[in-house]
This record gives sequence, structure tokens and C-alpha cells, in this order.
Amino acid sequence: MGDDYPTLFRSEQMSLMQFLIPTEVAHDTVAELGELGNVQFMDLNPAVNPFQRSFVGEIRRTEEMARRVRFFESQIQKEKDVVPIRPLYDSAPLVTVGPSAAHNIDELDVTLAEHETRLVQMNDSYKTLSERTRELVEARHVLRETAVFFDKAETQQTDIRTSFDDSSAPLLQHDDREQQYLSTAQFDLEFVAGTIDRTRISTFERVLWRVLRGNLYMNHTDITEPFVDPATGTETRKNVFIIFAHGDALLAKIRKVAESMGATLYPIDANADKRSDSLREVTARLEDLETVLYNTGVNRRSELLRIGENLARWQDVVRKEKAIYETMNLFNYDVRRKTLVAEGWVPTRDLAMIHMALRHATEESGTSVVPILQELSTSKTPPTFTRTNKFTEGFQTIMDAYGIATYQEVNPGLFAIITFPFLFAVMFGDIGHGLIIFFAALYMIFQEKKWARQELDEILGQFFYGRYIILLMGVFSVYTGLMYNDIFSKSLHIWHSGWDFPESDGVSYAVSNGHIYPFGIDPGWHGADNGLVFTNSYKMKMSIVLGVIHMTFALCLQLPNHIKFKRPLDIYANFIPQMIFLHSIFGYLVVCILYKWSIDWSTRDTEPPSLLNMLIAMILSPGKVDAAAQLYPGQSFIQVVLLLLAMICVPWMLCMKPYFQWKEMQMIQGQGYVGLGHRNGGPRESTDEVLENEEEGNGRAIVEEMEEEHEHHDFSEVVIHQIIHTIEFCLGCISHTASYLRLWALSLAHAQLSEVLWSMTIEKFLGLSGIFGTIALVMVVVFWFLATVFILCIMEGLSAFLHALRLHWVEANSKHYQGEGYSFTPLSFAKLDEKE
Amino acid sequence: MEGVFFNVNNGFLEGILRGYKSGLLTPSHYASLTQCETLEDFKTQLSATDYGNFLANEPSPLSTATITDKATQTLVDQFNFLRRNSVEPLSKFLDYITYGYMIDNIILLITGTLHERDTHELLERCHPLGIFDTMPALCVATNVEELYQSVLIETPLAPYFRDCLSAADLDDMNIEIIRNIVYKAYLEDFYNYVSAIGSTTAEVMHSILAFEADRRTINITINSFDTELTKEQRAKLFPAIGRLFPAGNNALAKADDIDQVRQACENVGEYRSFFDNNSAAQINGDLGDFGVAAQLEDRFFRMEVHLNKLAFLQQFQYGVFYSYVKLKEQEIRNITWIAECIAQDARDRMHDFIPIF
Repeated sequence: MGDDYPTLFRSEQMSLMQFLIPTEVAHDTVAELGELGNVQFMDLNPAVNPFQRSFVGEIRRTEEMARRVRFFESQIQKEKDVVPIRPLYDSAPLVTVGPSAAHNIDELDVTLAEHETRLVQMNDSYKTLSERTRELVEARHVLRETAVFFDKAETQQTDIRTSFDDSSAPLLQHDDREQQYLSTAQFDLEFVAGTIDRTRISTFERVLWRVLRGNLYMNHTDITEPFVDPATGTETRKNVFIIFAHGDALLAKIRKVAESMGATLYPIDANADKRSDSLREVTARLEDLETVLYNTGVNRRSELLRIGENLARWQDVVRKEKAIYETMNLFNYDVRRKTLVAEGWVPTRDLAMIHMALRHATEESGTSVVPILQELSTSKTPPTFTRTNKFTEGFQTIMDAYGIATYQEVNPGLFAIITFPFLFAVMFGDIGHGLIIFFAALYMIFQEKKWARQELDEILGQFFYGRYIILLMGVFSVYTGLMYNDIFSKSLHIWHSGWDFPESDGVSYAVSNGHIYPFGIDPGWHGADNGLVFTNSYKMKMSIVLGVIHMTFALCLQLPNHIKFKRPLDIYANFIPQMIFLHSIFGYLVVCILYKWSIDWSTRDTEPPSLLNMLIAMILSPGKVDAAAQLYPGQSFIQVVLLLLAMICVPWMLCMKPYFQWKEMQMIQGQGYVGLGHRNGGPRESTDEVLENEEEGNGRAIVEEMEEEHEHHDFSEVVIHQIIHTIEFCLGCISHTASYLRLWALSLAHAQLSEVLWSMTIEKFLGLSGIFGTIALVMVVVFWFLATVFILCIMEGLSAFLHALRLHWVEANSKHYQGEGYSFTPLSFAKLDEKE
Repeated sequence: MEGVFFNVNNGFLEGILRGYKSGLLTPSHYASLTQCETLEDFKTQLSATDYGNFLANEPSPLSTATITDKATQTLVDQFNFLRRNSVEPLSKFLDYITYGYMIDNIILLITGTLHERDTHELLERCHPLGIFDTMPALCVATNVEELYQSVLIETPLAPYFRDCLSAADLDDMNIEIIRNIVYKAYLEDFYNYVSAIGSTTAEVMHSILAFEADRRTINITINSFDTELTKEQRAKLFPAIGRLFPAGNNALAKADDIDQVRQACENVGEYRSFFDNNSAAQINGDLGDFGVAAQLEDRFFRMEVHLNKLAFLQQFQYGVFYSYVKLKEQEIRNITWIAECIAQDARDRMHDFIPIF
């Protein structure tokens, strides 16, 4: 099955292929195979350290290139004005295969290095320039602030000075006294001025206070605009400070502390004129510097623009080259070191494509030596590879999240495409809500092309990934909504209801009018006092019926597995007794449910019996059926027979398989063989082939011996395994059946919640009239709609999704799914991009 | 009983820490590291470990200093993460770990200033775990009094320095004495603090700190042979904790040569092995006192690693945090050692690192 047409039913058939690739075409071949994305290479030298492998030099070179490209990228990202990066699909591809490949790569390496040195140089000069600018700006600030301070101090000084006696006057005499246009005293205090990081100002002040024992006067003001570091783009805020102290020793100390705290000091003259002179000078120099800085910035930007043109292309090439050499590191040299030997798993179906790719690679590289491909026989388990498309991918992922299917096992992902949305819909049954999520999914599907290319955030991305699941969930919810006759908790009257409610004052009893509602629940039940009782009973029984059907189906999926892997014993010892056990108890319950539904109990003279009590009585007191609670004649006999059948199944499951295996073992030992440990004697033939091949001396899988797990055939293990399996199954039947009742519980909760939402919001405002009534109604409808979408569709939907997931993983998968495989991870450039 | 509520405040961090611990390099990592031919290989090899690509963005000729810096940076990042997420009393405990580094930094700065080194260069060489705000101001001070009054008074280390204010001038000898007094005070304080925390933490930390104290005691003794340090002064430097205290400390205070040190240590079973081969080596005449000390240092490190590893056997205690920092530090020393050996092409000495696991 599946040899001619790809299918989801079983994973792809895989072959272990050996590639003998001449060294000169190795790179191109791997590049071609990477584009194809169909080969999973195996590590042929696991014992070799990563840095001792053959192509470390090349990898190191590409890593260096990658580092440069990353450097460009970070530089471009840091740039405030956006530098456009030309997208990959828009740029001309760089040829990295064929005869000119080596040359191209060398050229790229040189180009990258050139760009880097140029950029680093520009960064450096830009940095020194902007550092000088910063210093000047700071100096200007210091000058200005000190000027402000001196001005203020001078006006105050006049008041203070008056109280001093005149003897201080000579001290104030100064060389340039004539330059003082104010008659006030000149300072003779010495001071230090500078700038410091704002976060450090308090520490600075504290330390100074302590070091100088309080002998200082310090003043500081904030500089409003932040300073931006050109290299890192971080902002620092600084303060101007001016400290007055007396004596050279103290000043020296202040300077030392200031310098060690990272402050910058500026020589400021106490004289106002000199200050304004230097302010002018600083401003002039600042202007010059800013022009230079601007020019440097423009140059740097144009360099970045040039890099931006090519960046995506370089990234792509570097990434691919690295992947290629990493893959080539997995290869082995043959004896003469002329060819590389590679081994890898390939889907058997794609062998032709691989051959094509190999030939193409040879043509590209311009040599006549063709890589040789040959199939190896192995007893290793191949990886599991299920071909999916955008529709099936989501469903397959759900099942892969539980466990990757064993190689060639029946894949539950195929059936999940229908069962998953269906079980979801049973819990989510509402036409309105179903339509909402249906249209949401439809919208995502129409946006598919656009969204697939851009990066979505995590939550939206998840929904987008599951868009087809959501689509089907919506469709099925509409269907179950029709069955439940629920639309936003109201019911539809499509056909004529089967019940009439005659007008009366108090309680009115429905009267049958002979119609039978053809599809779904009669709308007459809606709003009836016993409506809830009815739907409860209906949905509960329905969940049991669906559950038993689902479990039976899952159980039946064992069968193709047993047949495919030639395990007839498992059919007789596991499948058949399990089937009988499940159906003699729960299958019988389902039949009773259906039978009970089919009877018009109003015409009978007995009350309808409780099926739950019937089932309990069947097990606890076999053979006795209360006459009042009898469902059909001869019930007690049939129940005893069924119970006996179930009882027989337990030892059957428990003993048969271990017994036969023990017998087989005895037989093998009787023939004088010592256990080689083949599971049920399965892969016997392949061993012979391996032996043959080994005799021929070629086609021997190199990795084979190393990882072969040797299964020790221990009888006690078989017994214990079987005991656990049996207990698990028998208890599981009961608990799993009960577990399906969640279908009922969630569907009930969903229906009730939507009804509560309706009656608490819209229903109260429907009767209001007038303009306020209308406005209130509109607002309430908006609120109701939002609550419907967020609470009922998204929250409840997620909860129903989760429960559907559980029913598939636990209840269904435990019946047949082994899930012991490992997934196929081919070398693929397309997937490389996804990873980034 | 404290185990019941331990996880409320510290469970998360302990989990994180044990995760960090399992990221320490294993013997197989070391084995492959020692096979490296160049530092480039070394980088490739390290990128396969928990260090990840911490060197990926370093331009090509790598230096061992860069490797050490980056590795230390990983430790500092981890520690800061722990520190910021911790609450009392764990946060206080983690602070105590940093005090040791602060003492080292202070001594480094004072010594540097004394020899008139460049302040910024000194600041760069400080251990990032022991940096505090007012640290740069240390270079201003010229005597201990000033040092204490201007800078140290507002650091948590102030009480430790209070005892050594008497020392007049700052010279090499005095700085060394200050360091030892301060460290003694620190160790005793830490010891009391973990005793106050009590239970398992105290149990684990006591054994580690006791060893630390003993190690200092023995080191001080050996280093003070043939120096101006009087025996009374020497006795003052010994921490008043540890397994050698008080009888062993008294004997060490009077010791004149290495044999007497060995006799003093005889009383503690675990320490006996430190000196085992020494006597044999001395008879052969291969190793002088210096060789003995070097060998001893190595054994101390081994012992420390061993004790720190033991800390991980106990749960619901803070000792693991201390031990992890110490083990990681040792690992960084090992990495530096191997890298240095590769860089200087001294392959024969490459295996002299101290294995952690």
C-alpha cells in the first residue's frame, strides 16, 4: 500500500542510501541536495571531535563571514533612519556552485572584510569626532551654567560683603580690576568645574563631603538634553557641577576623586570676560566639528546603504555555506581520500529526484565524475516521514506532538482530520459560534499568502498555523449546532415543530401535533421546563455512543499494523479479546441506548429502566434482572453470557501471548540456537542480506554496528509487560468510556453559558423603547458580541480544543498507537530559513 | 521543618541554580578541551557547552584574557540574576558572597594606588562581583584612617575595617596585614551569620567556611616565615573559627618551619593528606618551600572543590549558592589555564587543572 501514491495512512518508505561523492563535486552535490531537502544524512564519525573534522577550516571561515554579516546587520539596525535591506527574492543570486564557486566565495570574503574595515574605520572616526563634539558641548554647558551661577552669586555677594570690614578690600584687588564693570568683589575662591553622570552625582557629593570633611561648596545643575553614545546608541544624562574649595591639596583631592568617578573636568576661568571668550571659541569649534561630523555621518550612511543592498543575499549565502560544510563534516573519506562517503535516509519514492539532482550537480560543476548512489540494507529503524501539505500539516502536528509514529505504523493524523473537528464540534455545537470561527479561519486562509511571508507574533502565529483545523472545526460546529438546534442559544424553526403549546394561564403542557421534526432537536424543547433534562439525557447518551464508536475505531487500527508487521499472534492474543471485552460491556450499553431510544415508552406499561443501574446490576448481581426495570425479555441470560465473555477475555489477554512466546523460545533453544533476539523472528531476511553484502565487501553500512540496540529477550519482561498491558486496557475501557462524558459536560456548559450571556444582556434591553432604549440596545449588542467572541468562541473554543486533544491522545491513541519513531529531519535550505 | 517553606521564597532560585550547576563542564568536556590545538578550536569546543556562543561576536585573534573576561561575565550575569530575584535572607546571604570580592577589590585598589598605577586600569581589573559605588574614591586615601572615614564607612565592610584602624601607614606589609584582618573579620561575621540562619545552611556553610579559615591560617603561617611579622601579630591574623581553632591555631602561631605546620595539622584527619608527599619530596630535595606551597595551594583548591560539591548533596539550604559561585570560579580558572597552555604551547602542563566533576 502506498507504493504508487503518497498517503498519510502510513509514513513514507525510506531507504538507507550510500553516496560516493568525488571530493571535487562534494560541495555542489550537497548544495543541490540541500535545495531539494530530501536527505537526512547520518553522522559517520561520531567519535571525532567537532574541531577535528575535515571541513573545520571552511566552517570557521564561513563563521567569520557570518560574524561580519551580523556586524553589518546590527549596525544597520542601530541606525536611527531606516536603512532599507533589499529582500532576498529581489536580489540577484550569488552563484556558489559550479566552477566559479570558490572564486565567488573568495570574492565575497574579501568584499565583506573590506566593508568591515571601512565601516569600523568610519565608526572609529565618527566616534572620536562625536566624542570631541560631546566634550565641547559639555564644555559649553559648563561655561553657561557657571556663568549663571557666578551672576547669581555676584548679586548675592553685595549683601554679604557689606557686613565685612574694609580690611578685606585689598585682598580682593586683582590685576584686571579695571575690567570689572560691576562694582562687586571678585572671587578669590578656587573651584573645579566639570560634568558627571547624573546617577553618580549623589555618591560623588557624599564622597567629597567626607574626603574634604565638609570644606566645600558644591553646586550642580542638570543638562537637559541626553548624550547619545554613537557606538551603542545608549543615552546618558549628565550634570554640570562646580565645586569651591580652598587650598591646593583639597583641590587636588577633588580632581582625583572626580577623575576616578568618571567625571570630566573643564578649566574654567573665574573671570567673566575670559569665560565669554572661551564660550565663543568653543561655539566656533563646535560648529566646525559638527560639519565634519555630519559629513562623516553621511559617508557612513551611504556605506550602510550599499551594504543594505546586498545584506540579505550575503546572509543567505553564508547560512547555506555553513550548512553545507556542516553536512560535509558528517561524511567519511574512503581509503584513497578521493571520494567522500555519505550515508543518509531517503524516501524511496524520491530516489529518482535524488538521481536527477546528483546528475545536475555534476553538470553544474563541470566535471564528468558522477556521484554514485547505492542502496544499503540495514536493520536500523528508518525515520518516520509523513508528507503533509498546508491542509494536513496542522492535524499531523497534533499527533506528532503526542509522539512520532513508529516507522510505517498506521498514522492517526489521517483520521484526526475528521474526528478531531468532529469531537470538538460536539462540545462546541452552536451555529452562530461555529460560523464566527469558520469565517475567522476563512479570513486567515485568504490572507494566507500575505501572512505566510511576514512574521506573526506568537499567539496569532499559532492560530494562523492551525487555520485549516479551525476552518473544519467551524464547519463541524455549524453541523452539530444544527443537530442541537442552537444559534447563539436560540433555536431555529426551519420545519414545523412537533409540539404545540396550548394557551393557558399557568403551566402549559405540550401537545403532540403529529409532525416529526426531520433533523436535529425539535425547537419545541427550547424554553420548556424539562428541556434541560431532555438535552442532558440526550447528550450524555450520545457521548457514550460516540465514545464507544471512537474507541472501537481506534482499536481496529491495530489490525493493519499487525498485518503489516506480520504479528498474527497479536491479532489472536490482543486484538480479538480486547474487541470482545469492550463490546460485551460497553458495546452492549450502546445497543441498549439505541434500543431504548427506539421504543415509544408512553405506550408501554413499564417505566423506562435506568441504563446506568442496569449496567451496575449486570456486573454486581449477574443473572438477576428486576422485572420492573426489564428492557427486553431474556435480558438476564444475555447479560450473563456477555459478562462471561468479558471474564474469559481477561485471562486470554493475560496468558496467551506470553505462553506462545515461551513456546517459541523453547523451540528455538531446542534446535540448539542461543537467542539472537529477534522480535518475533521478523527481520530475519534482512540479516541475511546484510551478511551477503558484507561478504561482497561493499555496501556495508558504517554506522550500523555502533548504534544497534540489542534487545535482550527476557521472558519475565514479556510477562510483566503483558500484565501491565492487560490491566491498563481493562481499567482503561471503563475510565475511557467515562472520559467521553466530557463531550456532554462541555457541550452543556457551552450551551448554558451562551444562554446566560444572552439572557443577562440583550434580553433585558429588548423591551425598551425610545431613543435611549435603542442606544442602550446597540451598546449592549456590541458588548454581547465582544463577549461572545472572546469568552464563548476563543476561551470556550480553546477549552473544547484541549478536551478534543485529550480524547485523541489518551482515549484513542492508547488503543493502537505506539509512537516510538523519530522524525525525518532532512538537510533543507528552506527549513534553514525557518529556523532563523 | 524549614524544608516545608523553603520553596516558597527560594525554590525557584534553587532550581535555577541547580540548572546552572548541571551546566558546569564535565570531564568529557575537559578531555576535548585539552585536545584543542588553537584557541579557535577552543572556541568551537566551548560553543558546544553551556557557554554557547559567548565568543561568537569576538573578532578573530582571540586572547585568553577575552575568554576569561567573557566567562567571568557569564558568572556575573548568572549571579546578578539570582541576586535580583532573591529575598531576605537569601539576598543577604548572596551579599555576603560579594563582600569577599569587595575586600579583594579594595586591597587591589589600595596597593595599586600605592604603586601609583593608573586608576582606570585598576578599576578594570577589579572583580565585577565586588564593585560598589564609592569604590573609585579609594584611590584618594593615603592612610587607613582616611580610607575608613571617607569611603568605607558607608559600605557593609565598615565593621571589618574598624579593627585595623591602628595601622599607621600604608605600605605593602601593612596592606597585607589589613587584608588578613579584614578577611578574618569577614569570615567570622559570615560564620555567625550562617549560624543565625541555622539548620542545614549552617551545617553546610560551617564546613566550607571552616576550611576557608583553616586555609587562610595555614597560608598566613607559611607566608610569614622569615618576615618581620612577629608571632603575636601573626596569631592576631588567624580567624577564630575553623577546625584548627583553637589548639591548632596556637600551634601554628608558634610554628617556625613547615614541619611544625604539618604537625599542627596532624590532628585533623582530612588535612593530614595535604602534607603527605611533602616530606617525601623534601627528602628528595626536588621541591623547596616554594614548591611545597604551590603544591599545597593545588591541594587546597581540590579540597575546596570537594567541599563545595558536597554542598549540593543537601537540599533546602543556601550553601549551594556559595558553592556554585566558587565552583564556577574554579571552572573559569581551569578554562583560563587550559587556554593559556594552548596559547603558550605548554601542552605537558595542560592537565594540571583542578577537575570539578
